[in-house]
Amino acid sequence: MKTVFVRPELCIGCRHCEVACAVEHAENKNILSAVNEKKKSQPRIFVETGPGYKTFPNRCRHCDPAPCMQVCPTGALVRDIATGSVGIAYPRCIGCAVCAMACPFGIIRFGPVRQLDTDREVNAKCDNCLERQKDGMTPACAWACKTGALEFGDANDLVRTSRKDFTTRLVLSEGKGAEVTALPANIRAFKAIMEELAGL
Amino acid sequence: MYDATESKKIAEARALDPTDQEIIAKAIDDGVETAWDRLADQQPQCGFGQLGVCCNRCAMGPCRIEPFGKKPVRGVCGANADTIVARNLLDDLATGAAAHSDHGREVVEVMLETAEGKSQGYQITDETKLAALAAEYGIKTAERKKEEIAKDLALAFMEEYGTAKGKLQMAERAPTKTKEVWKKLGIVPRGVDREIVEGMHRVHMGVDADYTNILLHAMRTSLADGWGGSMIATDCSDVLFGTPVPIKTRANLGVLSKDKVNITLHGHNPILSEMIVKAASDPDLVKRAAEKGAKGINCVGMCCTGNELLMRRGVPIAGTFLDQELAIATGALEAMVVDYQCIFPSLPQTASCYHTKVVTTSVKTKIPGAIFKEFRPDNAYDTAKEIISLAIDNYPNRNPDRVRIPAKPIDMMAGFSEETIRKALGGTYKPLIDAIVTGTIKGVVGIVGCNNPKIKQDYGHITLARALIKRNILVVETGCAAIASGKNGLLVPEAADLAGDGLKSVCKALGIPPVLHMGSCVDNSRILVLAANVANELGVGIGDLPVCGAAPEWYSQKAISIGTYFVSSGVYVVLGIPPKIFGSANVTTLLAAQLQGITNACFAVEPDPLKAADLLEAEINRKRTALKI
Repeated sequence: MKTVFVRPELCIGCRHCEVACAVEHAENKNILSAVNEKKKSQPRIFVETGPGYKTFPNRCRHCDPAPCMQVCPTGALVRDIATGSVGIAYPRCIGCAVCAMACPFGIIRFGPVRQLDTDREVNAKCDNCLERQKDGMTPACAWACKTGALEFGDANDLVRTSRKDFTTRLVLSEGKGAEVTALPANIRAFKAIMEELAGL
Repeated sequence: MYDATESKKIAEARALDPTDQEIIAKAIDDGVETAWDRLADQQPQCGFGQLGVCCNRCAMGPCRIEPFGKKPVRGVCGANADTIVARNLLDDLATGAAAHSDHGREVVEVMLETAEGKSQGYQITDETKLAALAAEYGIKTAERKKEEIAKDLALAFMEEYGTAKGKLQMAERAPTKTKEVWKKLGIVPRGVDREIVEGMHRVHMGVDADYTNILLHAMRTSLADGWGGSMIATDCSDVLFGTPVPIKTRANLGVLSKDKVNITLHGHNPILSEMIVKAASDPDLVKRAAEKGAKGINCVGMCCTGNELLMRRGVPIAGTFLDQELAIATGALEAMVVDYQCIFPSLPQTASCYHTKVVTTSVKTKIPGAIFKEFRPDNAYDTAKEIISLAIDNYPNRNPDRVRIPAKPIDMMAGFSEETIRKALGGTYKPLIDAIVTGTIKGVVGIVGCNNPKIKQDYGHITLARALIKRNILVVETGCAAIASGKNGLLVPEAADLAGDGLKSVCKALGIPPVLHMGSCVDNSRILVLAANVANELGVGIGDLPVCGAAPEWYSQKAISIGTYFVSSGVYVVLGIPPKIFGSANVTTLLAAQLQGITNACFAVEPDPLKAADLLEAEINRKRTALKI
């Protein structure tokens, strides 16, 4: 099972993923012309800020079974068998927003899409960059992420890193002070300062 | 959904001062966007930028370095995180130094035009200071008219900006030991513009790649600001408008008037604001205001031009950097007149929610949606009258239903120039030195800098100032930090009761507040001169003195230059907001540790003002111990 794995501790809120996503879903996949398109492409990934200026890039998890698919009354949400992604048949979407109510992650956004002739707002959620994946490329968000906060690959492989990290922490743990995170000292210092500042 | 309790709660989280809170809540209720809203809209802010590892200089980029140890470790040109962080810091610092110094140049130009009889409404006011400066610059004064001396002095100041001389006369004020450190490091400033331009050269792709070398030039550029451009701005303004002496006035948004034409003067240079204040008492204009139903013309200051006015004229001050939108949101402002620096580009949009006119006056600062009235030395008085007329004519447009002016302005005392402090002590720093030696006063901390919506407005300034005076540490302030203390009631002699017993006794004996307002942000040069004079009296370097600096709420590039010239001069500085350097461990270590071995001072970053007070006290104790006191 391939997925875009999120490591929030590595997210620095640059929003490269948002920009890359919007460009990828634009008509002319070029940032310079994308900003002038009539129906401006919107990102389908959301870098949200939580307490302490901590950020999390939130996107569709392409669940299976997918709650959004299960509740869609018109069958507008469809499974791409090859990639396991939940795609959208835009003409079928009636904008009822029931999918958004069912989505556990709150990542569905509605808006006009270039694939339709009208301006009506439809589910314009993440399609897991189906076109890119068919060309053997990774989804645009993970491709754009420079810090490894978004990584595309086999879920089991990616989880293994986290498991190893946890194991190290467990083995090395000699009390509360043990510090095995991979973050460099200067970055840890910066994050601590920002967290403190957020409370003032 | 409209909820008045909700806006009150938000306001309390945004600002410390109750009058600010009142107007923030009004702005929220009125649907007016402010900097706090824009900060929220900007979340998350790009981590590459925050860490300083984003480089947007050339067209091979933009590039950024992965901060967690992965690729890319170099930009397209090959610059690593150290180079990029140091270059960005020098760029920011040079911008700040340029802002101060270009402001200084304008004052010098007005002095020259005044000396030549070409300006309108200005005069040479402080002849004592003129004579002292002339002596410093080797300009003859005997049997010469003040205009002749001022002309030579203005031309001498202009030379400080150039390359021909290769040294700064002003920097000679520094103690020998401090200058020795600069010489050893090769950072003696050679000319104000020269260091800034060379800084711009060095950050060009393919020039300086050695972070240490880049930072050394940053230090030299900052010295050309503190001991050059800023110092010239201060001294030249004193000659033209008078050297400040203790003066009483009032602070906070409550200084706006219910029944007079309100004009807020916002920005930095006294050149404009002095003339507006002068013209505001013009009988024709006062009469015109009465005809429009107003009871007079009420000029109030804001930010550093406000500081210039209150230091010399006792003009009330409406507030700090983050008060600029709030002054408009009172609904009682006829005109917001600005020169430059720290002016929100969105002010005309804020003003469009009320009747306020935003007036820009400098060719360097035009804002879409504002009215531009070019202000030049040769038309200064006429333009000032024109701007005031515009405000008067706007008075009938004020909608009383949308006006709310906070009830109670706070009394404050300002005007503590270096000359005034020295005079108050009896012409010598010996009484201050004695008080420090005996420990009655442990040391001195300069709290300076801006507001930043990332920290509750004035919370950092006030919490730190109160903590320090309690520990018998005298606080001197400039800029928005000083205004914050004014709003908080710390700038009155009675505030000495908040100080520790030692400092309290000194304040009571001299009748001064425990927190001294020393002026605008260019007036940090007054703190340098004060420190230099004390060090000279003791025969030590500035780095030996139990003197520290803090910028708890800084935001501006100018603050980077200020902090760096203090550290380069030997003064430890605690910053409340992290500078964009954390992407390079090497740069961070150099600035926050290694520098101490060189200038006997370094930077620290600590947002919590109470923890910052501990750091500052520890540094003061370290220096006291070294002095064996």
